[in-house]
Amino acid sequence: MAPVQSDADLLAAFAGGDRNAALTLTHRLTPRLMGQAYRMLGNRAEAEDVTQDAMMRLWRIAPDWDADRALVTTWLYRVVANLCTDRLRKSGRGVALDAIEEPADEAQSAADNMQDAARATALHDALADLPERQAQAVALRHLEELGNPEIANIMDTNVRTVESLIARGKRALIARLSGRKEELGYEDDNR
Amino acid sequence: MKMTTDDKMLEAAFAQARTPDVMPSEDALNRIMMDADSVLAAPTPVKRRPKQGIGVMILEAIGGWTAFGGLATATVAGLWIGISPPAALTDLSAGLWGATIEVPLLESDMFAGLEG
Repeated sequence: MAPVQSDADLLAAFAGGDRNAALTLTHRLTPRLMGQAYRMLGNRAEAEDVTQDAMMRLWRIAPDWDADRALVTTWLYRVVANLCTDRLRKSGRGVALDAIEEPADEAQSAADNMQDAARATALHDALADLPERQAQAVALRHLEELGNPEIANIMDTNVRTVESLIARGKRALIARLSGRKEELGYEDDNR
Repeated sequence: MKMTTDDKMLEAAFAQARTPDVMPSEDALNRIMMDADSVLAAPTPVKRRPKQGIGVMILEAIGGWTAFGGLATATVAGLWIGISPPAALTDLSAGLWGATIEVPLLESDMFAGLEG
């Protein structure tokens, strides 16, 4: 069995003109990029746009890629987080409920699906209101479930700063969501 | 640490938003590969030389800072030898020419008219 080529090796091959390397990277990397963008934005079409944008940046940087400086995946986490917070800020959110995709859980009642959609919107709206770095740190910790040292690496800062960003971000999210507890059904929620 | 109601609410919101990774649509994958093709088809950019001042160009023409250092040393040494030739050199020139020749740079009475 042929050894699995690293992302950096594939990127170098692409920079050398190998189209198959791009195809392998696309299939290997895009599901995670798409997932990260979707978890932050809550919208599939926007998540696809962000994924395409991030991959285009990867293609362009390929000739200058320095494998000693960063992992491709770490660099992409940062790019996607930046692109998503840009979109959250520019859109101002407040997306109409009917524009949010309902979770495709047929076992749930329509009312539960509506409530899930409303909660998702509320979380994305609240993330959109946070300062950019707080939103990124919170999303990387609580949506991507990364460790603080890895987040510090992605955000090019230290662990203490990450801890502070997450703590402040969570306090701000709670302040924004707690006023909507009843509306979002969190008060009588045992789910 | 005990979780407050607010913490629980936030954790529930995060848990719900933690959807699994998803594969982009075929259309999105095609667009991504079209982008890759466009980058591959683009001519390799030629790295432009940064703008250089005349000083840098002259320095490069004489062989860079190393050459400049040698040139400067030789110039200073030559100047010093001209001002204060070592005795051996004076003797040598005297031996060569038979005598030491002094050439006054200024005539001694040049300033006579300028004085009160």
